[in-house]
Amino acid sequence: MTTGESAITPQTGGFVPKLNLGMFFGVRTVSILATVLFCVGIDFFSGPQFMSRYAAGLIFLCGTYVALSVSLNLINGITGQFSIGHFAFFQIGAYTAAGCSKAFYATMHLPTLEWLVLMAIAGSITAAIAGFVVGLPSLRLRGDYLAIVTLGFGEIIRIATENITYLGGSKGIDITPHYQSIALIMLLAVGCIALSRNLLKTAFGLGFLAVREDEVAAVAMGVNVTRIKVLAFIIGSAFAGAAGALYAHKYGFIIPDQFKMDGSFIVLTMVILGGTGSVTGSILAAIILTLLPELLRDLHNVSFGGLIATALMVLVATFGIKRVIDTHFDLLKMKWLSALGVLAACVIGEIIIKMLLDLFPHVRTHAPIDGAQLRMVIYAATLVIVMLLRPQGMFAHHEFSWTWVKKVLHSKTAVKS
Amino acid sequence: MMLGATHLTMPFLASLDFATLPQQIINGLLSGSIYALIALGYTMVYGILKLINFAHGEVFMLGAYTALFVSYFFGFEPNSPYHATSVWYLVVMILASMTVSGLAGVIIEKVAYRPLRNQARIASLITAIGMSTLLQFGGQLFLPNSPPPNIDQRINPFSQQIKFNLVPHDSSLLAQLNVLKVTKSQADSAWKTRQKLETDTFSPSPEGVRIRSAAQEADRHFQDLSSRYQTSGVTVQMALGRIVTIIITIILMIGLTYLVLFTRQGRAMRAVSHDFDSASLMGVNVNSVVTFTFIIGSVLAGAAAMMDATLYQPGLQINTFFGLLPGVKAFVAAVLGGIGNIPGAVVGGLLMGVLESLVGWCGYTGWQDAAAFVVLIVVLLVRPAGILGSNEVEKV
Amino acid sequence: MTVLELDDASIKFGGLIAVNKVSFQVNEGQIFGLIGPNGAGKTTCFNLITGVYKPTSGSITFLGKSLSDVHTDKIAGLGIARTFQNIRLFSSLSVVENVMVGGLLRRKSSLPSALIYLPSSVTDTAQIRHRALELLEVLDLTDVADVRSKDLPYGKQRRLEIARALATDPKLLLLDEPAAGMNPNEKVDLMNTVKRLRDDFGKTILVIEHDMKFVMNLCENISVLDHGEKIAEGLPQEVRSNPKVISAYLGESTN
Repeated sequence: MTTGESAITPQTGGFVPKLNLGMFFGVRTVSILATVLFCVGIDFFSGPQFMSRYAAGLIFLCGTYVALSVSLNLINGITGQFSIGHFAFFQIGAYTAAGCSKAFYATMHLPTLEWLVLMAIAGSITAAIAGFVVGLPSLRLRGDYLAIVTLGFGEIIRIATENITYLGGSKGIDITPHYQSIALIMLLAVGCIALSRNLLKTAFGLGFLAVREDEVAAVAMGVNVTRIKVLAFIIGSAFAGAAGALYAHKYGFIIPDQFKMDGSFIVLTMVILGGTGSVTGSILAAIILTLLPELLRDLHNVSFGGLIATALMVLVATFGIKRVIDTHFDLLKMKWLSALGVLAACVIGEIIIKMLLDLFPHVRTHAPIDGAQLRMVIYAATLVIVMLLRPQGMFAHHEFSWTWVKKVLHSKTAVKS
Repeated sequence: MMLGATHLTMPFLASLDFATLPQQIINGLLSGSIYALIALGYTMVYGILKLINFAHGEVFMLGAYTALFVSYFFGFEPNSPYHATSVWYLVVMILASMTVSGLAGVIIEKVAYRPLRNQARIASLITAIGMSTLLQFGGQLFLPNSPPPNIDQRINPFSQQIKFNLVPHDSSLLAQLNVLKVTKSQADSAWKTRQKLETDTFSPSPEGVRIRSAAQEADRHFQDLSSRYQTSGVTVQMALGRIVTIIITIILMIGLTYLVLFTRQGRAMRAVSHDFDSASLMGVNVNSVVTFTFIIGSVLAGAAAMMDATLYQPGLQINTFFGLLPGVKAFVAAVLGGIGNIPGAVVGGLLMGVLESLVGWCGYTGWQDAAAFVVLIVVLLVRPAGILGSNEVEKV
Repeated sequence: MTVLELDDASIKFGGLIAVNKVSFQVNEGQIFGLIGPNGAGKTTCFNLITGVYKPTSGSITFLGKSLSDVHTDKIAGLGIARTFQNIRLFSSLSVVENVMVGGLLRRKSSLPSALIYLPSSVTDTAQIRHRALELLEVLDLTDVADVRSKDLPYGKQRRLEIARALATDPKLLLLDEPAAGMNPNEKVDLMNTVKRLRDDFGKTILVIEHDMKFVMNLCENISVLDHGEKIAEGLPQEVRSNPKVISAYLGESTN
């Protein structure tokens, strides 16, 4: 149908954009090299001579969750397909690595890193197949139904792995080589980020976004909605699977119980907190929500009274701030001040209520709560609070860019309502 | 291929014990009634708000804990001394469970769902998942969780087993059986007295061998005839508690039907579930209808929880996650019957119960929980509207 | 040349015959109007043409090719683009991005090349963006190019839908009640824009509308539907004075 010409303005001939190929490839090569250096560098600096094993493990975990949340964002945030069973792909990748390593590692005599890369690829392939299977119902099902199907799929996978004795069943399976490669997981995370960003910087990304915004209109505009939905699932699940394979090797032992739907919930919370559709948001939220519970691990004696008081005040604060958000203020400054006022009042309230509660012997003598138990509670509370106060998440649909920084700095001087 | 199919299925079918089938079906229907009560909550909320109330399982859980605490109040704490029970204790327990669950449902709606009503449905769904998780893990901090407590079985006055003869057994066999019983006991006592005279009971004298084989043969005859007698008819048995459960369930469902069909509030509910916006334009107070729906659904779940933990499965262990699995199964039941459709929820619940029972009967008890998810996926792919639901085309 | 032909097209829903043996022809370069009172079956006709429904009898042909078995996702590729009665924009995308989605159809690069950010995808994107901006200029939306489409005033949203449909480079443009909700000034602007699309760019246009004045001033050839059947066809002045048309619109002013 089309020739090289633009059919709109036949007189002027086609628009031929000029691209300085030399500059283009130059910049690309430099940035790729810099990224690889960055990943290898992090790996080097997380070695035993620089930090504890615990801290290194934490960095690995951050990389894992960044990969998971950015890949989930591709499915949920960018393409608008509501998938809440993402951990299923993670588990499939992990178990693929476990199975392959059990069957072949001893006989193949490959160096560790190469084996890990091979396992990551294997994990991504099986997970991509699963992604394809899960993506097919998305062609026919509406949002909330699709969500349930993805959740159910995750549970079926978990129950299935519990019943496969070759993979250890419900007792778990050991994996050799037991090796934590921070370089590889970082490269994976960066690769996922790069892919998402590339997609969004080109017109193709708009096709995905169109599927999210209005499928009917997208079809009418000739967008191949079927292909896009299935592709989103395949790509997103492939990255999750690769991450799963590396994760399995890091721990050296996996068990189906690790992959309950709690995991999918955590990744979902990260995507929501970051803002669906925002790659930057997913990265930040993944890092924050991975590190935050670790800080809590050190809190071994949360007093019971303190816990009740904090819970009550968080509730009050949430609704107070929601009230502030919904109220109209002439000055943006006043809005921020009111919000801060609410927070301050709640902090004071927490202290007072805690003191009052401690007067009750029942409360005072209650066993202290271990900080680690609060992990899922904080995730769940974060999700609910974000949905109530700012459902578009931290970054809404925006990405980090230098122009955005300039805009923010300029608007600080303006007075808005 | 047909030959191959028969080769696979024949041994499988042969391994099934058809004699126990009626019992399994009855068991399935009983557990299905509990699922039906919970499914009603899901279906009514979905019908009104088009929202899957993920936190419904937790409302169920809270009802169970309420029943637990009320039982403590009546003196049935763990390791407490013997205490006489009374039907009135159960009455108070079920009313308390229904009240607390109803309140919980309303609070969850006001706090988590109402603020998001104007946004995309996905937002409410995400929040629902968040609330569900929050209640499970948050509850863990405040409620006794491990070791998981259970309602003292002594509070259940309906623990005797009742037998029903669906198909009467062959009475002539019964007479023969009684005769053989006498023969058997005679032969047994003969061998017993003989044993004392033998020096080595494992290689007795010829006379001892004769007496021993007589006893063994009498026993074998008795067992043969006994199993023939059993399979000659069909008997099912169930605990009286389960019968009470199903009676209460039926009463509650009759009450619900009356409410939905014949009262003003029920009419309002149906109007809102048909068309949210038009109903509000017609003067229906949508907010109060929504609250009312949540109350009804949650109250039913609370009743189901109390009955499940006390009468249906006495001694069932409760923890804050125990609402998850019944919740999911009841949700699948609601989808199976047609989500948004009240009779559909009942049909779906009963079907789920029977299906689960049959999966266990086939020997795959490990897969019983997965069965729910498989059913869900099959229904959503083949007939998303469910059995009793109607298909609606989105107009452009 | 006949661009679109409906030949005794009919569709039944259960017992209701929504469209009953409707026939008309749209020729190249025409601005054709399809009017009728509410519920006459106009949007159903549109849905028949765009593959949302399949006709139960009769045929629909586009440039000689039958549309009976063509699914909605192939329609744009064949050269038919449409706007919607209830505006369906990609709300959180900007104006120019909305139009670029339409332009994706005529892309020259592949998805894998975009994922690894090859030069071909970069130039293709720039080209699609350039054409989108050209279209915005035609429809006088250049000043709001980067505004989120959700934030646009109603009249501009309608123009944006037309720009987006044009980006697919169609042979036939279907406009579903494009003037709905516009004030008289906006309607005059729209009329001139549609005329320009035909005069300068050679588009064939089929319009569904309620507003008689708008249709009479814009369209060259009009078909009138009532209760699923065609009751009149011809030039605006013929249709306007047709007694059947007047009685079908009884109660509506036809000035």
